[in-house]
Amino acid sequence: MNPIEVNALRKSYGSFDAVVDLSLSVPAGSVCGLLGPNGAGKSSAFKCLTGLARPTSGTIRIAGGPPRPEMFDELAFVPERSALYENLTVDDHLIIARGSFPKYDERRARKMLDIFSLTPKKRVRKLSKGQRTALGLAIAFAMRPNIMILDEPASGLDPIHQRAVLDLIIEAAANGAAILFSSHNVGQVERAADRIAIIKHGNLVLDGELEELREREKIVEAVFPGSVPDERVFRADGRVRTVETRGNVLRLHTIRETDAVVADLERAGATSVTVQPQNLESLFFAAVEQPRPVTLEAD
Amino acid sequence: MGVSFTIDPRSGVPIYVQLVEQVKRSVAIGALVSGERLPTVKQLAVDLTVNPNTVARAYRDLEREGVIETSPGRGSFVGGDQPAARRAVTEVSSASFELAVREAKSIGLSRDDVTSIVDKLLARWYGAEASS
Repeated sequence: MNPIEVNALRKSYGSFDAVVDLSLSVPAGSVCGLLGPNGAGKSSAFKCLTGLARPTSGTIRIAGGPPRPEMFDELAFVPERSALYENLTVDDHLIIARGSFPKYDERRARKMLDIFSLTPKKRVRKLSKGQRTALGLAIAFAMRPNIMILDEPASGLDPIHQRAVLDLIIEAAANGAAILFSSHNVGQVERAADRIAIIKHGNLVLDGELEELREREKIVEAVFPGSVPDERVFRADGRVRTVETRGNVLRLHTIRETDAVVADLERAGATSVTVQPQNLESLFFAAVEQPRPVTLEAD
Repeated sequence: MGVSFTIDPRSGVPIYVQLVEQVKRSVAIGALVSGERLPTVKQLAVDLTVNPNTVARAYRDLEREGVIETSPGRGSFVGGDQPAARRAVTEVSSASFELAVREAKSIGLSRDDVTSIVDKLLARWYGAEASS
């Protein structure tokens, strides 16, 4: 069984469904990026995964069992806002961590403070938002956990420390850890993750191995010298996610069997068909069906 | 390490494909020579800031194609199989050719137009042909 297994998770607060239906699994050595607009249910899912909230239905398995206090021996959870003691110093927090986590590694903790440019004697109330996040991360990575759940681990960090977090995630995965992290930064997910889960209104809208998605999901542009075929034909096609016509060009977003779609377009009279890859940002916007933000430059 | 690779995670092209192509190209141009040691999966993943499973997948593909060889405990090395390296060269350049021809076709050039472009380029880089 994978270190992180979520099956048909549902979490309702009264009549509000924060998570409707979420299934995902993260094998050892794998990094899963959880993406979704604000309010999609990411934080509620994390609360259920870490035992801070009880699922309405569905099952969660962390290190082979349901969420339980002992799992924190191998699981590090870094919430978006780490629970820190305002009047204690950075060092004090390390002392607390040393006493609480059996796998805590003092030398590594010192190295983490260095990486995140944290001053040991500084009190938490004097730390910026980014430095607070950094302290939470420093403690988490000092534990060398087998499982990590990180909610927006790079939020508030400067670009140098954002990169440091990615490096640490990658290093931990290479050493066999299973990591689930949420991020609004598609570029970070694109680098660090090997699988993604995109959620919207508590539902999974796109998930899978990132390299498979990169291979499968394409933008196909077909030039028709005569009349352009009716868009509706392709709307009903299960291999196609979206269709639009621009002049004599038909533009399709294919989700599988792109080569067969290309052959069909050529049979329909297209003189030229080009296939372009799609990056995670366009996959994300297509999955959550949001128009891209308007830019000031003309297209 | 003599050779460094560049990955563009935003291009949408699978990262393992980018890596496989770059290793092949490096072998093809002689930047990586037979017997040379490649970085470990972990090291390359950290160096490039990309997922380690993705790097491992590229290495598996390169191994299957005979471009590199991996022995447990010793690491990965550029293979001694010259035909594999030659195949790699051909593959890398035909992929670039295909892209260019596709682009030419999509903007409406005829077969003759493309032939004449290729002829000009051949004359420039390979020297003028005696006949024709």
